[in-house]
Amino acid sequence: MKKDLFPKAVLRLLKENGIEEDDIFAASATDMNTECEYADGFVVLTLTQLAIVMSAPDEKEIHSFKGYMTKQKAFDTPEKEWTVKIYPVENTENLKGEPQVACSILTADVDGVTYRLTAFSNLYKREMHKLVRTFDKICMETKANKEFEGKEAGEGREPGKFPGPGRGPWEGGKDGDKEPESKEERIKKLKVYGVEDEKEKDEYCPTCGMMYPDRSRKVCPRCMDRKSIFFRVLGYFKPYRARIAVLFLCYIATAGLNLVWPYLNGTVLYDKVLAKNNEFLAKFGIEDGSYITALLMVVLTMLMARITIIVIGMIQGVFAAKIVTGVVRDMKKSIFGNMGKLSISFFRSRQTGSLMTRVMSDADRITGFFIDGLPTIFISGFTILVSLGFMFSIKWQMTLMVLVVIPFIMLIGLKLRPRIWTQFGHRHRAERAVNSQVNDNLTGARVVKAFGQENRETSRFEKNNLRLRDAEMSIVGTRNLVSGSYSGIFEILNISVWLIGVYLIMVAHEIELGIMITFVGYIGQLQGPINFFSRVFHWWSDSMNSAQRMFEIIDSVPEVREAENPVELENPKGRIELKNVSFGYEVNRPVLKELNLEIKEGSMLGIVGRSGAGKTTLVNLISRMYDPQEGQILIDGKDIKDLSFKSLRRNVAMVSQETYIFMGTVEENIAYANPEASHDDVIRAAKLASAHEFIMRMPDGYDTRIGSSGRELSGGEKQRISIARAILSNPKILILDEATASVDTETERDIQKSISYLIKGRTTISIAHRLSTLKDADYLVVIDNGKITERGTHSELEALKGTYYKLMELQRKALALKGIE
Amino acid sequence: MGKFDGFRGGRPGGPGGFGGDDDFDLEQMEKETEEMLKMRFLDKKNAEFKATGGGFVSLKVGDEEYNRIQVVRMFPFTDPDHYISIRTSDENSKEIGIIKDLKDVTKETAELLTAQMNLRYFTPIITKIINIKDEYGYAYFDVMTDRGQCRFTINMGGSSVVHLSETRILISDVDENRFEIPDVMKLSAPERKKLDLFL
Repeated sequence: MKKDLFPKAVLRLLKENGIEEDDIFAASATDMNTECEYADGFVVLTLTQLAIVMSAPDEKEIHSFKGYMTKQKAFDTPEKEWTVKIYPVENTENLKGEPQVACSILTADVDGVTYRLTAFSNLYKREMHKLVRTFDKICMETKANKEFEGKEAGEGREPGKFPGPGRGPWEGGKDGDKEPESKEERIKKLKVYGVEDEKEKDEYCPTCGMMYPDRSRKVCPRCMDRKSIFFRVLGYFKPYRARIAVLFLCYIATAGLNLVWPYLNGTVLYDKVLAKNNEFLAKFGIEDGSYITALLMVVLTMLMARITIIVIGMIQGVFAAKIVTGVVRDMKKSIFGNMGKLSISFFRSRQTGSLMTRVMSDADRITGFFIDGLPTIFISGFTILVSLGFMFSIKWQMTLMVLVVIPFIMLIGLKLRPRIWTQFGHRHRAERAVNSQVNDNLTGARVVKAFGQENRETSRFEKNNLRLRDAEMSIVGTRNLVSGSYSGIFEILNISVWLIGVYLIMVAHEIELGIMITFVGYIGQLQGPINFFSRVFHWWSDSMNSAQRMFEIIDSVPEVREAENPVELENPKGRIELKNVSFGYEVNRPVLKELNLEIKEGSMLGIVGRSGAGKTTLVNLISRMYDPQEGQILIDGKDIKDLSFKSLRRNVAMVSQETYIFMGTVEENIAYANPEASHDDVIRAAKLASAHEFIMRMPDGYDTRIGSSGRELSGGEKQRISIARAILSNPKILILDEATASVDTETERDIQKSISYLIKGRTTISIAHRLSTLKDADYLVVIDNGKITERGTHSELEALKGTYYKLMELQRKALALKGIE
Repeated sequence: MGKFDGFRGGRPGGPGGFGGDDDFDLEQMEKETEEMLKMRFLDKKNAEFKATGGGFVSLKVGDEEYNRIQVVRMFPFTDPDHYISIRTSDENSKEIGIIKDLKDVTKETAELLTAQMNLRYFTPIITKIINIKDEYGYAYFDVMTDRGQCRFTINMGGSSVVHLSETRILISDVDENRFEIPDVMKLSAPERKKLDLFL
């Protein structure tokens, strides 16, 4: 929590109870009390006291959550009255934030009784977690005699082979040379109050005070200048400058010819040529009387104009297509390229479907606007001005009439168009519902049939389908209304103008027919641009939204980042150490708690534990798919955060339960990490993985296409290809996460042989449920609830008669019952 | 396959763990499995719930005593007052018993348990929509709830707004705080229009 957020009244209250601000080690605000009301409060921790400061709920207060927090929450309202409850740290244990369904409760055991100290919304999850961790650390330092979770007393390990857990010196005595820190120094370091947290810096947008909804992107969506998005998108068009220039010329030429047309068609044709105006003809060098020639010339000019417009239109089309496809391709490349760099956590929190939509269709939408909409804005504006100008010069009174009508037309647009957009939204959602149901039923066809639910699914589909139809119909209805009104108004305008015109021609003899036709022609020219302007704003904001979504991916900073000057792993030996590693996918739900582990180079470690205990998470951390929240992971003594991704990935390979076979041949899949591998290498790897035989049974052998559009493989076959892939990449550290889970016992035995060969000279970590696969392990650990509960060799663990022993017995007995041994 | 948490001390009140013998007892395990599968129903006759000093609820059922229990709804949306699971409050959270209907226990007990559940399922109910602004993938809500005015932000797209029924909506903000609209039709038409994007 930031230092200046404490209201003076609270500081005073704390002082009265013996807590000075300097004593505070950690503090967090809270926004709820235990009576399910929003109420402001603070939780304050010193070395000796835990204070809960609460105020009464205020009805008039506005409760803001993430995205809405203005820089300084107004805690300091003078009318607030604060009460405090103090608990001595000495008598308090097990302080924790217990996550509920949509909030959390802070609990602690005081003198053996569990108390509900306060509650807090998810807004304060992070701060409370920090406070709780500080409390744990303080307890560890000050209550040195007690046994704490996370600090394990060494039990049953072979002396000398593997050093014990905890904070003892590591084998090799790297840290043993340093002067041990005094207790006071260690305690001082625990203070987090007032210490700036790198991760918390700049949580708020400096302009509008809103919190960044996504901490990893320090961009405020609210203040984000649409202009800046606009210019960024414009940047994608830069490489196509020349072609764009040609395109613009085409636009201008077309617009120009279109503007000249009414003049040709009206005035020139009727008033000058057909009316046999000799003066006019003389200007073009046509003799008096050659009216046919003049007529022919006019017709020819009109024809040429038309043809030119068509030709320019074709050129325009070709150039536009080239530019659009080029820009879209560049955008998609940026998106896809950056998506690849992002950490796994990005994909966990977003649905793949919506991500794919972004990659696919947003780029099209944006480009469409820039190529089509943007130039049309200029051209349309230009057309309107010129048309009105001509009209004005012809008959300003009639022009005024036209000007009066235009606002009406725009009004229709403004009122009805938004309705269409919301209806588009309805239709989009209805479409999504229909599509996902179809998808669901097709993928789950077996289940639908097996349970005989076809009719129910059909009626469900019927409902969604009807919704879609209704949405579609309402769009059609509104569209008809819009176009009807538009045409109606323009028709009325036209007729009125004609009526006046006829009067002026035939009765008042003020103007000629030709001019009239020209005038009406220009009115016609107005129709398109006005129509366009009524929808352009929405088009603009729609494409800016698409652009923003696109840039969100392009700008996303991966959570797991390579160090600035990454170190390479030279001569890798494969020694792995985990020091006090804690990690959770969510802030206050830890999956691994203060894990300490050392894996000697060249040895095989077996990890046993129930589903969900944290085994896969552990290996995910070693391969740096995620970074631990606390603690360090070292390979050959170097922190993996300092290693370059390249050397890390080259030296750590994983065969996991989920096998990814991508579209390609068998050989391409095996040689994924080493595309230059020779046939020899691929075959050898396949043989070692017991895959060679089934590959040879396929008609095209190693050239068989597999993956989503190729031949279907069984689970075991996919598994073996994954193993071959890992074998080929020849890593120093090999991680097998239930690598033999999907294969039959015979194949497993074959793979076991391969694995026994594989692990020589490599550090292997093997996670298995089937304990028989761990018989080669040098060392075993049992993980339960995120902690290592048992460790040792096979014989040590058996002697312990703990979880491992029970699991072994169960599996042995279960097989024995079935008559298998 | 049974679960193995009996190895660090026996289960409270249950069959005596794995005794002191080294031999593995399959029969024992099968008995325990059967125990696990039983649905034990609690009511005012066999269970005694009391408020603790720390703000929780304790339970005495038969020979078993629990200092603190968790109260969890099995069907929080479709049937909140039936099938309440009473569970231990440690990390493993095992089920102790089920209250089939809140009316099966005394009124005081029902109030006690409901108070616990209210905190667990804390979800302010939106009574009025003041404004919703959507910008760039986030929607900013300014609403009045039964606990005061709230302002929160949700991610557009995805499961931030869930239809629990045709008219009942659950909204989760970027931090997964929850807000509920029990009946959209009870809102005024302009309010529904603001919500339109999510309906």
